[in-house]
Amino acid sequence: MLLQQLVNGIMIGSVYALTAMGATLIYGILRILDIANAAAYAVGAYLGWYIYTLTNNLFLAFFLAMILTGLIGVLVEKYIYLPIISKPNVITIVPLITSVGLFTLTGDLLRLIAGPNVKSLGVKLRIGVLQIGNLRINPEWIFIIILTALLFSILWFILNKTKLGLAWRATASDSEIAQAMGVNINVSMALSYILGYGFAASAGIMVGLLYNSIYPTMGDIPSYKMLAIIVLGGLGNPVGTVLAGLLIGLSETLVAAYIGSIMPRDVIAFLVLIIVLLVKPSGLISKKNA
Amino acid sequence: MYLIVVSVNIGIFILLALSLNIITGYAGQAALGHAAFFGIGAYTSAIMTSNYGFSFWISLPVAFMVSGIVGIGLGLISIRMKDDFLAITTIGVNFVIVALFQYSSFFGASLGMTVKKPMFFGMRMNTSGYLILITIIIIITCYFIHKMNKSWFGLALSSIRNDEMVASSLGIDVNKYKILAFSLGTAIAGIAGAVYAHHMTFIYSSDFAFTVSIGILSMVVIGGIGTIRGPILGAILLGAAPELFRFFADYRMIVYGGLLVLMMRFQPQGIFGNDSFITRNFIQAYKNIFKKKVGDIIE
Amino acid sequence: MNEVLRIEGLKMYFGGLKAIDGLDISLYREETLGVIGPNGAGKTTLFNVICGVLKPTEGKIFLNGEEVQGKSSFEMARKGVARTFQISKPLRDISILDNVVASLGINEYTGFKSLFKKSHSKETVDKAMMILRRTGLEDFKDKKAGEVSLGYLRRLEIARALAINPLLIMLDEPCAGLSNFAINEVIELIMQLKEEGKTIVLIEHNLPISMKVCDRIVVLNYGQKIAEGTPKEIQSNQEVIEAYLGEDDDFA
Repeated sequence: MLLQQLVNGIMIGSVYALTAMGATLIYGILRILDIANAAAYAVGAYLGWYIYTLTNNLFLAFFLAMILTGLIGVLVEKYIYLPIISKPNVITIVPLITSVGLFTLTGDLLRLIAGPNVKSLGVKLRIGVLQIGNLRINPEWIFIIILTALLFSILWFILNKTKLGLAWRATASDSEIAQAMGVNINVSMALSYILGYGFAASAGIMVGLLYNSIYPTMGDIPSYKMLAIIVLGGLGNPVGTVLAGLLIGLSETLVAAYIGSIMPRDVIAFLVLIIVLLVKPSGLISKKNA
Repeated sequence: MYLIVVSVNIGIFILLALSLNIITGYAGQAALGHAAFFGIGAYTSAIMTSNYGFSFWISLPVAFMVSGIVGIGLGLISIRMKDDFLAITTIGVNFVIVALFQYSSFFGASLGMTVKKPMFFGMRMNTSGYLILITIIIIITCYFIHKMNKSWFGLALSSIRNDEMVASSLGIDVNKYKILAFSLGTAIAGIAGAVYAHHMTFIYSSDFAFTVSIGILSMVVIGGIGTIRGPILGAILLGAAPELFRFFADYRMIVYGGLLVLMMRFQPQGIFGNDSFITRNFIQAYKNIFKKKVGDIIE
Repeated sequence: MNEVLRIEGLKMYFGGLKAIDGLDISLYREETLGVIGPNGAGKTTLFNVICGVLKPTEGKIFLNGEEVQGKSSFEMARKGVARTFQISKPLRDISILDNVVASLGINEYTGFKSLFKKSHSKETVDKAMMILRRTGLEDFKDKKAGEVSLGYLRRLEIARALAINPLLIMLDEPCAGLSNFAINEVIELIMQLKEEGKTIVLIEHNLPISMKVCDRIVVLNYGQKIAEGTPKEIQSNQEVIEAYLGEDDDFA
C-alpha cells in the first residue's frame, strides 16, 4: 500500500505545486505575498464551470477560463498593486493586507453572483481507470497529471526558451539591473500576473473537477497552504515551489495514512514549514540574498 | 445593555490592536498570528478557573505571563527569520496553536470550553464590570506605550524597525529587544484573551483563527500603524462596523474587503496615522485656531 | 606609544574565498589610518570584522589591549568602535535629531529597564544639538532622515559616530557618490576630527582623499597587506602602483 500512498502524495503534491505556482511567479517579480491568488483560483473554477455549462467543451472551458483570469490578473496588477508598491516608503505589510482585502471581497462577490451552494461540474471523462498491480489511478487524476505536466512544460519553455522569459528571469534576479539593461520590467510584471492568475485558475478548475464541486469559499484552504508552499520553496523560486508542493503532498498523505488524524490535515503544511525553516531559514532552495 | 456588550468587545479589540502595534508598528516585525496569543491567554485563564478552581484575579496575570513566555519563542524565531519568511511562519504558528486547541481534549477539543464569570467582592461580575476592567487595562497599556515611546526602549525599537545593522552599531542588542517586543505584545494579547474568555463564558478554537489575526492587523493598519490613536480608532471603527453594517449584512464582507483595498491603495499610512489626510487637516485646523507649532501635537 | 587597535594574523574565509588572508595592523592613539586597495581587496570585509559584523576565521583583534575578536557588533559599539556605512543607512522614519539621540544612548540600551528611562532629557537633547551644529545639520533637525539629500546623510553618519563618543571612528568611503563640493565638506569635517585628537580608520577608494587626510596608509590586495607607510612612501611604492594600474587595465 506504500506505493499507492506515495503516488497519491505525489498527485496531490503536484496540484499543490500548480496552485502555489501563480503566487511564486508573482512573488518572484513584485515581492508581494499575494493571498488574492487563491481568489483567482476560485474565480477560475467558476469561469471554467460557467463556460463548460455553456459549451460542454472541457478543454475550451479550461483554457478560456485560464486566459480570462490571467487578464483579470493584469488589471489587478496595473490598477491596484503597482500603484501601491511604487509609492515610496511603503510598509511591507501593505500589499499583503491589500491582497487579504481583495481575497475577502472576491470570495463574497462570488457568493452573491453565483449563490452560496455547491456547483457540480458533472464531467464524465472517457478515460479508463489505470490499474497496475495494486496501484489504482482514477481517470480524473490521469487528466490532471497530464494537464499539470503540460502546464509546467509550457511554463518551463516560456521562462527558459523565450525572450519574454529571459526578461522575466532578469527582472526576478535584480529588477534595477534588468531595467538598466533595457528590460521593460512592466512587461515582466504583467507576465507574472497573467501566468500567476492563469495558473491559479487552472488549479481551481482541476480541483473542482476532482471533487466535482465548486463553491465560493473553495479558495480558503489553498490561500494559506499556498503561502506555506511558496515560502518553503524559497520564495519566488518555481523549481523550489514544485519540490515544496510535492513535499507537502507526500507529508500530508503519509501522516494521514500511517500516523492517523492527530491533527487537521491542513496544519501539516505549516508544521513542515516551521520545522524546515528553523533548520534552513531561507527555504528549501534559496536565492542569494533574497 | 447590548451597547455595553459591544463596547466590551471593542475594548478587547483595542487591547489586541495596541499590543500588536508594539510588535509590528514600533519594532517593525511581521506578526500575522497574533490571535494565537489571544487564544493562549483565553485558554490559560479558562483552564485555570474551570479545571483547577483558581480565581480569575489570579488567572489574569498568569494568562499575561504564559502568553508572554510563548511569545518569547516567537521572538527567538524572529531572530532567525526575516520579513516575509517571518510573516508566513507566524501564520503557521497561528494554525498550529489553533489545531492544538481543536484536537487536544485538554483544551476541550471540538467541544470548546465553558468559563465561569468571576466574583468581585462577593458579587458576580456583570457586563458593566467588564467594561470598567477592560477600560482600566487599556488605560494602563496606553500609559505604558506612551512611556515606552519616550524612553530608550522606544528609541531602540525605532532603530531596529529602520535598520537592524545600524541599530547594533549603536550598541543596541537587537535580538534582546526583538524578544522583549514580542513577549510584551503577546503578553498583553494574553490579558485580552483572559478577559474575553470570562466575558463570553464560552470559548472555541475558531475564535482565535488566522482570520482574527488579519482582523487585528487591519485595525492597526487602517487606524494608523506606529501611533497610539491609530490602533484605538481602527479597532473602534472596524469593531463597530459589523453593528453599523447590520442592515445590509449580506454585503458586509464585500464592504470590509473593499475598504481594506481602497485604504491600502489610497491611504496606506492609515486613516489616523502620521501624514494621513485626516491628521494633516486636523493639525492644519488646529494650527489655524490656536496658531501653535505643528510639532507639538504630532507627538 | 598608545596602541588603540592591534590586529594579529587575521584571516577571513568565505568558503574557498580568502577575503582576508593573514593580516597584521596596528593603530595608535590620535592617528588616522587609511586603508586602500583595489575593488575586492578585502577593505570592507576588514571593516566588518573589526566592527563585529563578521566573525573572523582566525586571528586576534585587540582593542586597548583587550581581546575582542568574535564579539558581536553591538558589543563592539559599546566598547567604543563607531562606524559609518558605505551606503548611508539613516534611521529613515525618525528625525535627524532622533537619529543622533539614538546614538547618544549607546550605554542606555539595557533591555527591559530602559523602558523606564526617558530618552529626550534636556541634557541629551543639548548634547545632540551640539553635535548637529558641529556637523552642519542643525537646520534639518526636525526633518525625517529619509527626506534629506545624500550629502547630509553622510554628515549624519559622521554625527552618529561622534555621538557614540568613540575610542575609534571607522569611516567606510565617506565620500562615495558625493559631488566635489560635498566631498570637500566631508574632508573638512574629518580634518576637524583629527585636530580634536580622534583616532580614525578611513577606507577610501579615492586615493587623493586618503593621501590628504591620513597619517599612515595600509594597502591591501587579495586580502593581504602589500605595503604600509606614510602617504609619501605609498605614492612612490612600485607594488602599489602596479596593483592600481592592474585594476585600471581591467576597466579599459
